[in-house]
Amino acid sequence: MVTARVRVARVTQTLEVALVCAVVLIPVAWMIASSLKHSVEVTRYPPVLLFTPTLDNFSQLFTMLPFFDYFVNSLVVAVGSTALGLLLAVPAAFAISWHRVSWPATFVLFTRMAPGTLFVLPWFILFTKLGLIGTHSVLILTHTVVTMPLILWVMLPHFDSVPRSIFESALIDGCRQFDCLLRVAVPLVTPGLTVAAILAFISSWNFFLFALVLGGIDTKTLIVLSFNFVGEGSTDWGRLMAAAVVISAPPILMIFAAGRGLIGGLTNGAVKE
Amino acid sequence: MVWAPSPSGAGLLARFGRGNATAPFAPAKPLRARRAGSALSMRALAVPMLLFLALMVALPLGYAVWLSLTDFRFGQEAGFIGLRNYRAMLYDPDFWNGLYVTFYLYVLSLGLQLVFGCYLGMLLNRLRFGRRFLQTVLMSPFLLPPVVIGMMWLVILDPSLGAANWILQSLGLPPSLWLASPRIVVPVFALLDTWQWTPFVALLVLGGLQTMPDGIADAAAIDGARGMSMLRYITLPLLMPTLFIAVVLRSVDLLRFFDLIYITTQGGPGTASQTLNVYAFRRGLEFFDMGYASALMITLAAVVFGVVLALSRFRRLAEW
Repeated sequence: MVTARVRVARVTQTLEVALVCAVVLIPVAWMIASSLKHSVEVTRYPPVLLFTPTLDNFSQLFTMLPFFDYFVNSLVVAVGSTALGLLLAVPAAFAISWHRVSWPATFVLFTRMAPGTLFVLPWFILFTKLGLIGTHSVLILTHTVVTMPLILWVMLPHFDSVPRSIFESALIDGCRQFDCLLRVAVPLVTPGLTVAAILAFISSWNFFLFALVLGGIDTKTLIVLSFNFVGEGSTDWGRLMAAAVVISAPPILMIFAAGRGLIGGLTNGAVKE
Repeated sequence: MVWAPSPSGAGLLARFGRGNATAPFAPAKPLRARRAGSALSMRALAVPMLLFLALMVALPLGYAVWLSLTDFRFGQEAGFIGLRNYRAMLYDPDFWNGLYVTFYLYVLSLGLQLVFGCYLGMLLNRLRFGRRFLQTVLMSPFLLPPVVIGMMWLVILDPSLGAANWILQSLGLPPSLWLASPRIVVPVFALLDTWQWTPFVALLVLGGLQTMPDGIADAAAIDGARGMSMLRYITLPLLMPTLFIAVVLRSVDLLRFFDLIYITTQGGPGTASQTLNVYAFRRGLEFFDMGYASALMITLAAVVFGVVLALSRFRRLAEW
Protein backbone atom coordinates (compact mmCIF):
# COMPACT_ATOMS: atom_id res chain seq x y z
CA MET A 1 0.00 0.00 0.00
CA VAL A 2 2.41 2.61 1.25
CA THR A 3 5.12 1.71 -1.21
CA ALA A 4 2.64 1.96 -4.08
CA ARG A 5 1.63 5.43 -2.99
CA VAL A 6 5.26 6.49 -2.59
CA ARG A 7 5.99 5.16 -6.05
CA VAL A 8 3.10 7.12 -7.59
CA ALA A 9 4.30 10.27 -5.84
CA ARG A 10 7.81 9.68 -7.11
CA VAL A 11 6.62 9.19 -10.69
CA THR A 12 4.45 12.33 -10.69
CA GLN A 13 7.31 14.29 -9.20
CA THR A 14 9.67 13.12 -11.94
CA LEU A 15 7.05 14.06 -14.53
CA GLU A 16 6.70 17.51 -12.99
CA VAL A 17 10.45 18.07 -13.07
CA ALA A 18 10.60 16.90 -16.68
CA LEU A 19 7.78 19.28 -17.61
CA VAL A 20 9.49 22.23 -15.91
CA CYS A 21 12.78 21.47 -17.65
CA ALA A 22 10.97 21.16 -20.98
CA VAL A 23 9.18 24.51 -20.59
CA VAL A 24 12.40 26.28 -19.61
CA LEU A 25 14.77 24.58 -22.02
CA ILE A 26 12.80 23.91 -25.22
CA PRO A 27 12.74 27.55 -26.39
CA VAL A 28 16.48 27.80 -25.73
CA ALA A 29 17.09 24.49 -27.48
CA TRP A 30 15.03 25.74 -30.44
CA MET A 31 17.25 28.81 -30.64
CA ILE A 32 20.41 26.70 -30.63
CA ALA A 33 18.97 24.27 -33.20
CA SER A 34 17.98 27.15 -35.51
CA SER A 35 21.47 28.58 -35.29
CA LEU A 36 22.83 25.29 -36.65
CA LYS A 37 20.44 25.08 -39.61
CA HIS A 38 21.11 26.05 -43.21
CA SER A 39 19.42 29.27 -44.27
CA VAL A 40 16.96 27.29 -46.40
CA GLU A 41 16.00 24.89 -43.66
CA VAL A 42 15.57 27.44 -40.90
CA THR A 43 12.49 29.06 -42.45
CA ARG A 44 10.96 25.84 -43.74
CA TYR A 45 7.36 25.30 -42.66
CA PRO A 46 6.45 23.01 -41.05
CA PRO A 47 9.80 23.18 -39.22
CA VAL A 48 12.21 20.31 -39.66
CA LEU A 49 13.36 18.61 -36.51
CA LEU A 50 16.06 16.45 -38.07
CA PHE A 51 18.72 18.23 -40.07
CA THR A 52 22.44 18.12 -40.70
CA PRO A 53 23.98 20.77 -38.44
CA THR A 54 26.25 23.39 -39.95
CA LEU A 55 28.43 26.09 -38.45
CA ASP A 56 28.01 28.36 -41.50
CA ASN A 57 25.91 30.88 -39.58
CA PHE A 58 28.60 31.31 -36.98
CA SER A 59 31.44 31.64 -39.46
CA GLN A 60 29.39 34.18 -41.44
CA LEU A 61 28.93 36.27 -38.30
CA PHE A 62 32.64 36.62 -37.86
CA THR A 63 33.68 36.87 -41.52
CA MET A 64 30.92 38.99 -43.08
CA LEU A 65 30.39 41.25 -40.10
CA PRO A 66 32.85 42.87 -37.70
CA PHE A 67 31.19 40.74 -35.07
CA PHE A 68 34.42 40.15 -33.22
CA ASP A 69 35.01 43.91 -32.77
CA TYR A 70 31.61 44.28 -31.15
CA PHE A 71 32.32 41.29 -28.97
CA VAL A 72 35.43 43.12 -27.76
CA ASN A 73 33.34 46.26 -27.17
CA SER A 74 30.93 44.33 -25.00
CA LEU A 75 33.81 42.75 -23.13
CA VAL A 76 35.56 46.09 -22.51
CA VAL A 77 32.38 47.67 -21.21
CA ALA A 78 31.38 44.73 -19.03
CA VAL A 79 34.85 44.25 -17.53
CA GLY A 80 35.35 48.00 -17.10
CA SER A 81 32.05 48.61 -15.38
CA THR A 82 32.50 45.56 -13.17
CA ALA A 83 35.95 46.75 -12.09
CA LEU A 84 34.77 50.31 -11.48
CA GLY A 85 31.72 49.02 -9.66
CA LEU A 86 33.89 46.89 -7.38
CA LEU A 87 36.27 49.77 -6.76
CA LEU A 88 33.46 52.07 -5.70
CA ALA A 89 31.03 49.71 -4.01
CA VAL A 90 33.27 47.39 -1.99
CA PRO A 91 34.89 50.08 0.21
CA ALA A 92 31.51 51.78 0.50
CA ALA A 93 29.81 48.55 1.52
CA PHE A 94 32.48 48.03 4.16
CA ALA A 95 32.02 51.57 5.50
CA ILE A 96 28.23 51.29 5.50
CA SER A 97 28.37 47.96 7.26
CA TRP A 98 30.92 49.27 9.80
CA HIS A 99 28.99 52.40 10.70
CA ARG A 100 25.54 50.82 10.36
CA VAL A 101 24.26 53.83 8.50
CA SER A 102 21.44 53.16 6.11
CA TRP A 103 20.95 56.27 4.00
CA PRO A 104 23.70 55.63 1.43
CA ALA A 105 22.37 52.12 0.90
CA THR A 106 18.86 53.50 0.58
CA PHE A 107 19.99 56.02 -1.98
CA VAL A 108 21.64 53.24 -3.95
CA LEU A 109 18.42 51.25 -3.73
CA PHE A 110 16.62 54.25 -5.19
CA THR A 111 19.06 54.17 -8.12
CA ARG A 112 18.26 50.52 -8.56
CA MET A 113 14.50 51.17 -8.61
CA ALA A 114 14.36 54.22 -10.85
CA PRO A 115 13.59 53.50 -14.50
CA GLY A 116 16.74 53.65 -16.64
CA THR A 117 14.99 55.93 -19.11
CA LEU A 118 14.91 58.57 -16.39
CA PHE A 119 18.71 58.77 -16.45
CA VAL A 120 19.34 58.13 -20.09
CA LEU A 121 17.73 61.31 -21.36
CA PRO A 122 19.74 63.77 -19.23
CA TRP A 123 22.86 61.68 -19.82
CA PHE A 124 22.28 61.87 -23.56
CA ILE A 125 22.09 65.68 -23.42
CA LEU A 126 24.95 66.14 -20.95
CA PHE A 127 27.33 63.70 -22.62
CA THR A 128 26.54 65.17 -26.04
CA LYS A 129 27.59 68.55 -24.67
CA LEU A 130 30.78 67.01 -23.32
CA GLY A 131 31.39 65.30 -26.66
CA LEU A 132 31.67 61.91 -25.00
CA ILE A 133 28.84 60.11 -26.81
CA GLY A 134 30.07 57.00 -28.54
CA THR A 135 33.14 56.44 -26.38
CA HIS A 136 33.82 53.38 -24.29
CA SER A 137 34.21 55.49 -21.17
CA VAL A 138 30.61 56.70 -21.36
CA LEU A 139 29.34 53.15 -21.54
CA ILE A 140 31.58 52.05 -18.68
CA LEU A 141 30.44 54.96 -16.51
CA THR A 142 26.75 54.44 -17.20
CA HIS A 143 26.88 50.69 -16.84
CA THR A 144 28.54 51.23 -13.46
CA VAL A 145 25.24 52.76 -12.36
CA VAL A 146 23.87 49.24 -12.89
CA THR A 147 26.74 47.19 -11.48
CA MET A 148 27.52 49.31 -8.42
CA PRO A 149 24.15 48.97 -6.61
CA LEU A 150 24.20 45.26 -7.31
CA ILE A 151 27.69 44.81 -5.88
CA LEU A 152 26.87 46.97 -2.87
CA TRP A 153 23.78 44.97 -2.01
CA VAL A 154 25.47 41.63 -2.50
CA MET A 155 28.43 42.68 -0.35
CA LEU A 156 26.56 44.30 2.55
CA PRO A 157 25.41 41.08 4.26
CA HIS A 158 28.84 39.53 3.72
CA PHE A 159 30.60 42.38 5.51
CA ASP A 160 27.90 42.33 8.16
CA SER A 161 28.55 38.69 8.89
CA VAL A 162 32.25 39.22 9.66
CA PRO A 163 32.65 39.49 13.45
CA ARG A 164 33.60 43.00 14.49
CA SER A 165 36.18 41.71 16.93
CA ILE A 166 38.39 40.68 14.00
CA PHE A 167 38.59 44.28 12.79
CA GLU A 168 38.97 45.62 16.28
CA SER A 169 42.00 43.48 16.99
CA ALA A 170 43.45 44.44 13.59
CA LEU A 171 42.95 48.09 14.46
CA ILE A 172 44.59 47.65 17.81
CA ASP A 173 47.51 46.03 16.01
CA GLY A 174 47.91 49.28 14.10
CA CYS A 175 45.96 48.54 10.95
CA ARG A 176 44.76 51.59 9.06
CA GLN A 177 41.47 51.96 7.25
CA PHE A 178 42.68 50.82 3.85
CA ASP A 179 44.81 48.02 5.29
CA CYS A 180 41.85 46.95 7.34
CA LEU A 181 39.73 46.74 4.21
CA LEU A 182 42.30 45.19 1.91
CA ARG A 183 44.13 42.81 4.22
CA VAL A 184 41.45 41.84 6.70
CA ALA A 185 37.98 42.36 5.29
CA VAL A 186 38.40 41.52 1.60
CA PRO A 187 40.09 38.13 2.14
CA LEU A 188 37.25 37.18 4.47
CA VAL A 189 34.53 37.97 1.94
CA THR A 190 36.14 36.57 -1.21
CA PRO A 191 33.26 34.16 -1.95
CA GLY A 192 30.80 37.06 -1.86
CA LEU A 193 33.14 39.12 -3.98
CA THR A 194 33.22 36.46 -6.68
CA VAL A 195 29.44 36.23 -6.78
CA ALA A 196 29.14 40.02 -6.88
CA ALA A 197 31.65 40.31 -9.71
CA ILE A 198 29.98 37.59 -11.78
CA LEU A 199 26.51 39.05 -11.35
CA ALA A 200 27.82 42.53 -12.14
CA PHE A 201 29.52 41.27 -15.29
CA ILE A 202 26.39 39.46 -16.47
CA SER A 203 24.10 42.42 -15.84
CA SER A 204 26.46 44.81 -17.60
CA TRP A 205 26.92 42.41 -20.51
CA ASN A 206 23.13 42.05 -20.84
CA PHE A 207 22.24 45.71 -20.41
CA PHE A 208 20.44 47.15 -23.38
CA LEU A 209 19.10 50.65 -22.86
CA PHE A 210 22.22 52.69 -22.10
CA ALA A 211 24.30 51.22 -24.91
CA LEU A 212 21.37 51.68 -27.29
CA VAL A 213 21.28 55.43 -26.68
CA LEU A 214 24.86 56.28 -25.78
CA GLY A 215 26.89 53.83 -27.85
CA GLY A 216 28.48 55.07 -31.07
CA ILE A 217 28.70 53.23 -34.37
CA ASP A 218 32.06 51.72 -33.45
CA THR A 219 31.49 51.28 -29.73
CA LYS A 220 28.06 49.68 -29.66
CA THR A 221 27.83 46.47 -27.76
CA LEU A 222 26.88 43.10 -29.17
CA ILE A 223 23.46 43.54 -27.61
CA VAL A 224 22.78 46.69 -29.61
CA LEU A 225 24.25 45.23 -32.79
CA SER A 226 21.85 42.30 -32.55
CA PHE A 227 18.96 44.64 -31.83
CA ASN A 228 19.81 46.40 -35.09
CA PHE A 229 19.62 43.04 -36.87
CA VAL A 230 16.08 42.67 -35.59
CA GLY A 231 15.23 46.25 -36.45
CA GLU A 232 16.41 45.85 -40.03
CA GLY A 233 13.86 43.08 -40.34
CA SER A 234 16.60 40.57 -40.98
CA THR A 235 14.94 37.40 -42.22
CA ASP A 236 18.13 35.40 -41.98
CA TRP A 237 16.97 33.55 -38.92
CA GLY A 238 19.94 31.23 -38.85
CA ARG A 239 22.40 34.06 -38.49
CA LEU A 240 20.11 35.87 -36.05
CA MET A 241 19.97 32.82 -33.80
CA ALA A 242 23.72 32.27 -34.14
CA ALA A 243 24.23 35.84 -32.89
CA ALA A 244 21.87 35.10 -30.00
CA VAL A 245 23.86 32.00 -29.09
CA VAL A 246 27.16 33.89 -29.14
CA ILE A 247 25.77 36.66 -26.93
CA SER A 248 24.33 34.14 -24.49
CA ALA A 249 27.57 32.23 -24.18
CA PRO A 250 29.34 34.32 -21.50
CA PRO A 251 26.37 34.52 -19.09
CA ILE A 252 25.54 30.84 -19.55
CA LEU A 253 29.14 29.74 -19.05
CA MET A 254 29.33 31.80 -15.87
CA ILE A 255 26.06 30.43 -14.54
CA PHE A 256 27.23 26.88 -14.95
CA ALA A 257 30.72 27.62 -13.64
CA ALA A 258 29.50 29.39 -10.52
CA GLY A 259 26.44 27.19 -10.10
CA ARG A 260 24.25 27.57 -7.09
CA GLY A 261 26.64 30.02 -5.48
CA LEU A 262 24.99 32.75 -7.52
CA ILE A 263 21.56 32.16 -6.05
CA GLY A 264 22.44 33.57 -2.66
CA GLY A 265 23.68 36.75 -4.28
CA LEU A 266 20.76 36.97 -6.66
CA THR A 267 18.03 36.62 -4.13
CA ASN A 268 19.59 38.82 -1.51
CA GLY A 269 17.82 41.86 -2.77
CA ALA A 270 20.23 43.06 -5.39
CA VAL A 271 18.82 41.70 -8.59
CA LYS A 272 18.90 43.09 -12.06
CA GLU A 273 17.47 41.97 -15.38
CA MET B 1 22.46 40.46 15.55
CA VAL B 2 24.57 39.66 12.54
CA TRP B 3 22.87 39.26 9.19
CA ALA B 4 23.99 36.05 7.63
CA PRO B 5 23.81 35.92 3.86
CA SER B 6 20.51 34.17 3.48
CA PRO B 7 18.85 33.16 0.25
CA SER B 8 15.49 34.58 1.22
CA GLY B 9 16.20 38.25 0.67
CA ALA B 10 16.35 38.52 4.43
CA GLY B 11 19.12 41.09 4.20
CA LEU B 12 16.82 43.46 2.39
CA LEU B 13 14.06 42.76 4.82
CA ALA B 14 16.29 43.28 7.84
CA ARG B 15 17.35 46.68 6.61
CA PHE B 16 14.01 48.02 5.47
CA GLY B 17 11.24 46.00 7.06
CA ARG B 18 10.43 48.27 9.97
CA GLY B 19 8.14 45.69 11.45
CA ASN B 20 11.20 43.58 12.15
CA ALA B 21 11.68 42.87 15.81
CA THR B 22 15.48 42.96 15.78
CA ALA B 23 16.72 46.45 15.09
CA PRO B 24 19.43 46.08 12.46
CA PHE B 25 21.34 49.23 13.28
CA ALA B 26 21.51 48.76 17.01
CA PRO B 27 24.93 47.38 17.93
CA ALA B 28 26.93 50.44 16.87
CA LYS B 29 26.50 52.41 20.07
CA PRO B 30 29.06 51.03 22.54
CA LEU B 31 31.77 51.04 19.90
CA ARG B 32 31.11 54.57 18.78
CA ALA B 33 31.25 55.69 22.42
CA ARG B 34 34.80 54.53 22.90
CA ARG B 35 35.92 55.52 19.43
CA ALA B 36 39.38 57.01 19.72
CA GLY B 37 40.13 59.59 17.07
CA SER B 38 39.65 58.90 13.40
CA ALA B 39 41.22 55.44 13.36
CA LEU B 40 37.82 53.81 13.61
CA SER B 41 36.05 56.03 11.13
CA MET B 42 35.63 54.30 7.80
CA ARG B 43 33.49 57.06 6.33
CA ALA B 44 36.21 58.08 3.90
CA LEU B 45 35.83 54.73 2.17
CA ALA B 46 32.30 55.58 1.06
CA VAL B 47 33.23 58.96 -0.40
CA PRO B 48 34.17 57.80 -3.93
CA MET B 49 30.86 56.01 -4.32
CA LEU B 50 28.87 58.95 -3.01
CA LEU B 51 30.75 61.28 -5.35
CA PHE B 52 29.99 58.98 -8.25
CA LEU B 53 26.31 58.86 -7.29
CA ALA B 54 26.16 62.62 -7.01
CA LEU B 55 27.63 63.11 -10.48
CA MET B 56 26.00 60.24 -12.33
CA VAL B 57 22.63 59.99 -10.59
CA ALA B 58 21.69 63.03 -8.53
CA LEU B 59 22.90 65.63 -11.02
CA PRO B 60 21.18 64.10 -14.08
CA LEU B 61 18.07 63.57 -11.97
CA GLY B 62 17.96 67.23 -11.04
CA TYR B 63 18.50 68.08 -14.68
CA ALA B 64 15.59 65.81 -15.64
CA VAL B 65 13.33 67.54 -13.14
CA TRP B 66 14.29 70.90 -14.59
CA LEU B 67 13.79 69.63 -18.16
CA SER B 68 10.32 68.46 -17.26
CA LEU B 69 9.42 72.07 -16.47
CA THR B 70 10.56 73.28 -19.89
CA ASP B 71 9.48 72.84 -23.50
CA PHE B 72 12.99 71.68 -24.45
CA ARG B 73 13.35 69.91 -27.76
CA PHE B 74 16.77 68.62 -28.74
CA GLY B 75 18.72 71.28 -30.64
CA GLN B 76 16.51 74.15 -29.49
CA GLU B 77 16.56 76.58 -26.60
CA ALA B 78 14.67 75.48 -23.51
CA GLY B 79 11.92 77.74 -22.24
CA PHE B 80 10.49 77.46 -18.73
CA ILE B 81 6.81 76.56 -18.87
CA GLY B 82 6.13 75.51 -15.28
CA LEU B 83 3.89 72.51 -14.83
CA ARG B 84 2.35 72.71 -18.29
CA ASN B 85 3.95 69.39 -19.35
CA TYR B 86 2.29 67.64 -16.45
CA ARG B 87 -1.04 69.25 -17.27
CA ALA B 88 -0.67 68.23 -20.92
CA MET B 89 -0.24 64.65 -19.76
CA LEU B 90 -3.77 64.63 -18.37
CA TYR B 91 -5.14 65.26 -21.86
CA ASP B 92 -2.74 62.90 -23.65
CA PRO B 93 -4.52 59.68 -24.66
CA ASP B 94 -1.14 57.98 -25.23
CA PHE B 95 -0.19 58.65 -21.60
CA TRP B 96 -3.37 57.03 -20.32
CA ASN B 97 -2.94 54.17 -22.75
CA GLY B 98 0.63 53.71 -21.49
CA LEU B 99 -0.54 53.69 -17.89
CA TYR B 100 -3.26 51.16 -18.74
CA VAL B 101 -0.87 48.86 -20.63
CA THR B 102 1.69 49.11 -17.82
CA PHE B 103 -0.76 48.08 -15.12
CA TYR B 104 -2.51 45.45 -17.26
CA LEU B 105 0.87 43.81 -17.92
CA TYR B 106 1.96 44.28 -14.29
CA VAL B 107 -1.06 42.69 -12.64
CA LEU B 108 -1.30 39.80 -15.11
CA SER B 109 2.42 38.95 -14.97
CA LEU B 110 2.74 39.31 -11.22
CA GLY B 111 -0.25 37.05 -10.60
CA LEU B 112 1.01 34.34 -12.92
CA GLN B 113 4.55 34.49 -11.55
CA LEU B 114 3.44 34.27 -7.92
CA VAL B 115 1.21 31.26 -8.54
CA PHE B 116 3.69 29.35 -10.68
CA GLY B 117 6.63 30.53 -8.57
CA CYS B 118 5.09 29.15 -5.36
CA TYR B 119 4.30 25.86 -7.08
CA LEU B 120 7.79 25.56 -8.53
CA GLY B 121 9.48 26.59 -5.28
CA MET B 122 7.57 23.93 -3.36
CA LEU B 123 8.42 21.36 -6.02
CA LEU B 124 12.11 22.23 -5.66
CA ASN B 125 11.81 21.95 -1.90
CA ARG B 126 10.34 18.44 -2.19
CA LEU B 127 13.07 17.15 -4.51
CA ARG B 128 15.40 14.54 -3.05
CA PHE B 129 17.98 14.67 -5.81
CA GLY B 130 18.59 16.79 -8.88
CA ARG B 131 17.81 19.99 -7.03
CA ARG B 132 21.20 21.55 -7.62
CA PHE B 133 20.98 20.88 -11.33
CA LEU B 134 17.44 22.22 -11.59
CA GLN B 135 18.39 25.35 -9.68
CA THR B 136 21.19 26.05 -12.14
CA VAL B 137 18.92 25.41 -15.13
CA LEU B 138 16.29 27.72 -13.65
CA MET B 139 18.75 30.60 -13.47
CA SER B 140 19.27 30.73 -17.22
CA PRO B 141 16.02 32.41 -18.36
CA PHE B 142 16.45 35.51 -16.25
CA LEU B 143 20.21 35.79 -16.66
CA LEU B 144 20.05 35.62 -20.46
CA PRO B 145 20.23 39.00 -22.21
CA PRO B 146 16.79 40.48 -22.98
CA VAL B 147 17.87 40.89 -26.59
CA VAL B 148 18.38 37.15 -26.83
CA ILE B 149 15.02 36.45 -25.22
CA GLY B 150 13.40 38.87 -27.69
CA MET B 151 15.07 37.40 -30.78
CA MET B 152 14.31 33.86 -29.63
CA TRP B 153 10.59 34.50 -29.16
CA LEU B 154 10.31 36.56 -32.34
CA VAL B 155 11.46 33.50 -34.28
CA ILE B 156 9.29 31.05 -32.32
CA LEU B 157 6.17 33.25 -32.36
CA ASP B 158 6.45 34.33 -36.00
CA PRO B 159 2.84 34.29 -37.31
CA SER B 160 3.62 32.59 -40.64
CA LEU B 161 6.72 30.43 -40.07
CA GLY B 162 7.06 30.13 -36.31
CA ALA B 163 7.17 26.93 -34.32
CA ALA B 164 4.38 28.09 -31.97
CA ASN B 165 1.76 28.15 -34.72
CA TRP B 166 3.03 24.86 -36.05
CA ILE B 167 2.37 23.32 -32.62
CA LEU B 168 -1.09 24.90 -32.48
CA GLN B 169 -1.95 23.56 -35.94
CA SER B 170 -0.66 20.09 -35.14
CA LEU B 171 -3.06 20.10 -32.20
CA GLY B 172 -5.87 21.13 -34.53
CA LEU B 173 -6.09 24.66 -33.12
CA PRO B 174 -6.31 27.86 -35.18
CA PRO B 175 -2.99 29.74 -35.58
CA SER B 176 -2.46 32.98 -33.68
CA LEU B 177 -0.90 36.29 -34.61
CA TRP B 178 0.88 36.39 -31.22
CA LEU B 179 2.82 39.65 -30.92
CA ALA B 180 1.19 41.06 -34.07
CA SER B 181 -2.28 40.92 -32.57
CA PRO B 182 -3.33 44.10 -30.74
CA ARG B 183 -5.83 42.11 -28.71
CA ILE B 184 -3.50 39.50 -27.20
CA VAL B 185 -0.09 41.18 -27.38
CA VAL B 186 -0.11 42.21 -23.71
CA PRO B 187 -1.10 38.75 -22.41
CA VAL B 188 1.59 37.25 -24.65
CA PHE B 189 4.18 39.56 -23.10
CA ALA B 190 2.87 38.58 -19.68
CA LEU B 191 3.43 34.93 -20.60
CA LEU B 192 6.94 35.64 -21.89
CA ASP B 193 7.85 37.53 -18.73
CA THR B 194 6.35 34.69 -16.70
CA TRP B 195 8.52 32.23 -18.60
CA GLN B 196 11.55 34.37 -17.82
CA TRP B 197 10.93 35.35 -14.19
CA THR B 198 8.90 32.55 -12.59
CA PRO B 199 12.18 30.69 -11.88
CA PHE B 200 13.41 33.73 -9.97
CA VAL B 201 10.30 33.80 -7.79
CA ALA B 202 10.65 30.03 -7.34
CA LEU B 203 14.24 30.37 -6.11
CA LEU B 204 13.13 33.03 -3.61
CA VAL B 205 10.30 30.78 -2.42
CA LEU B 206 12.70 27.86 -2.08
CA GLY B 207 14.98 30.04 0.06
CA GLY B 208 12.02 31.00 2.23
CA LEU B 209 10.92 27.39 2.62
CA GLN B 210 14.39 26.24 3.59
CA THR B 211 14.77 28.80 6.36
CA MET B 212 11.39 27.83 7.76
CA PRO B 213 11.60 26.01 11.10
CA ASP B 214 10.66 22.34 10.67
CA GLY B 215 8.89 22.14 14.00
CA ILE B 216 5.89 24.15 12.93
CA ALA B 217 5.04 21.99 9.94
CA ASP B 218 5.61 18.84 12.01
CA ALA B 219 3.36 20.06 14.81
CA ALA B 220 0.66 20.99 12.29
CA ALA B 221 0.97 17.56 10.68
CA ILE B 222 0.44 15.92 14.09
CA ASP B 223 -2.62 18.13 14.56
CA GLY B 224 -3.97 16.74 11.31
CA ALA B 225 -3.04 19.41 8.75
CA ARG B 226 -2.85 17.83 5.31
CA GLY B 227 -2.41 19.05 1.73
CA MET B 228 -4.52 22.13 1.18
CA SER B 229 -5.03 23.00 4.84
CA MET B 230 -1.28 22.78 5.44
CA LEU B 231 -0.72 25.09 2.48
CA ARG B 232 -3.46 27.51 3.45
CA TYR B 233 -2.79 27.80 7.18
CA ILE B 234 0.88 26.94 7.63
CA THR B 235 3.06 27.20 4.55
CA LEU B 236 1.66 30.31 2.87
CA PRO B 237 1.41 32.45 6.03
CA LEU B 238 5.00 31.57 6.94
CA LEU B 239 6.05 32.33 3.38
CA MET B 240 4.50 35.81 3.38
CA PRO B 241 7.71 37.77 4.16
CA THR B 242 9.47 36.01 1.26
CA LEU B 243 6.55 36.62 -1.07
CA PHE B 244 6.61 40.27 -0.06
CA ILE B 245 10.21 40.55 -1.23
CA ALA B 246 9.31 38.78 -4.46
CA VAL B 247 6.37 41.12 -5.05
CA VAL B 248 8.47 44.24 -4.43
CA LEU B 249 11.32 43.12 -6.70
CA ARG B 250 8.98 42.02 -9.49
CA SER B 251 6.87 45.19 -9.16
CA VAL B 252 9.90 47.40 -9.67
CA ASP B 253 10.87 45.54 -12.83
CA LEU B 254 7.38 45.07 -14.23
CA LEU B 255 6.24 48.67 -13.81
CA ARG B 256 9.18 49.87 -15.89
CA PHE B 257 8.83 47.08 -18.45
CA PHE B 258 10.89 48.18 -21.44
CA ASP B 259 13.57 45.93 -22.93
CA LEU B 260 11.58 43.00 -24.28
CA ILE B 261 8.84 45.22 -25.72
CA TYR B 262 11.19 47.70 -27.32
CA ILE B 263 13.22 44.88 -28.84
CA THR B 264 10.26 43.01 -30.30
CA THR B 265 7.30 45.28 -31.04
CA GLN B 266 8.47 48.82 -30.11
CA GLY B 267 5.07 49.23 -28.46
CA GLY B 268 3.06 47.98 -31.42
CA PRO B 269 0.93 46.94 -33.11
CA GLY B 270 -0.25 50.54 -32.99
CA THR B 271 0.11 51.41 -29.33
CA ALA B 272 -1.24 48.11 -28.02
CA SER B 273 1.91 47.21 -26.08
CA GLN B 274 3.25 50.70 -25.49
CA THR B 275 3.97 50.78 -21.77
CA LEU B 276 4.57 54.12 -20.08
CA ASN B 277 8.31 53.49 -20.18
CA VAL B 278 8.32 52.69 -23.90
CA TYR B 279 6.14 55.73 -24.61
CA ALA B 280 8.40 58.04 -22.60
CA PHE B 281 11.48 56.66 -24.34
CA ARG B 282 10.02 57.06 -27.84
CA ARG B 283 8.74 60.53 -27.07
CA GLY B 284 12.18 61.59 -25.83
CA LEU B 285 14.62 59.81 -28.10
CA GLU B 286 12.66 59.18 -31.28
CA PHE B 287 10.71 62.45 -31.38
CA PHE B 288 13.26 64.41 -29.29
CA ASP B 289 10.41 65.97 -27.34
CA MET B 290 12.60 65.96 -24.26
CA GLY B 291 10.79 68.29 -21.91
CA TYR B 292 7.58 66.33 -22.15
CA ALA B 293 9.42 62.99 -22.10
CA SER B 294 11.15 63.98 -18.84
CA ALA B 295 7.79 64.76 -17.30
CA LEU B 296 6.57 61.32 -18.40
CA MET B 297 9.63 59.58 -16.94
CA ILE B 298 9.37 61.41 -13.63
CA THR B 299 5.74 60.39 -13.46
CA LEU B 300 6.73 56.79 -14.15
CA ALA B 301 9.38 56.92 -11.41
CA ALA B 302 6.73 58.32 -9.06
CA VAL B 303 4.41 55.45 -9.98
CA VAL B 304 7.14 52.88 -9.21
CA PHE B 305 7.99 54.46 -5.85
CA GLY B 306 4.31 54.93 -5.06
CA VAL B 307 3.62 51.24 -5.56
CA VAL B 308 6.67 50.22 -3.51
CA LEU B 309 5.65 52.55 -0.68
CA ALA B 310 2.07 51.30 -0.80
CA LEU B 311 3.31 47.72 -0.65
CA SER B 312 5.49 48.36 2.38
CA ARG B 313 2.65 50.22 4.10
CA PHE B 314 0.41 47.25 3.39
CA ARG B 315 3.06 44.96 4.82
CA ARG B 316 3.18 46.89 8.07
CA LEU B 317 -0.61 46.78 8.35
CA ALA B 318 -0.70 43.04 7.74
CA GLU B 319 1.90 42.45 10.48
CA TRP B 320 3.81 39.37 9.60
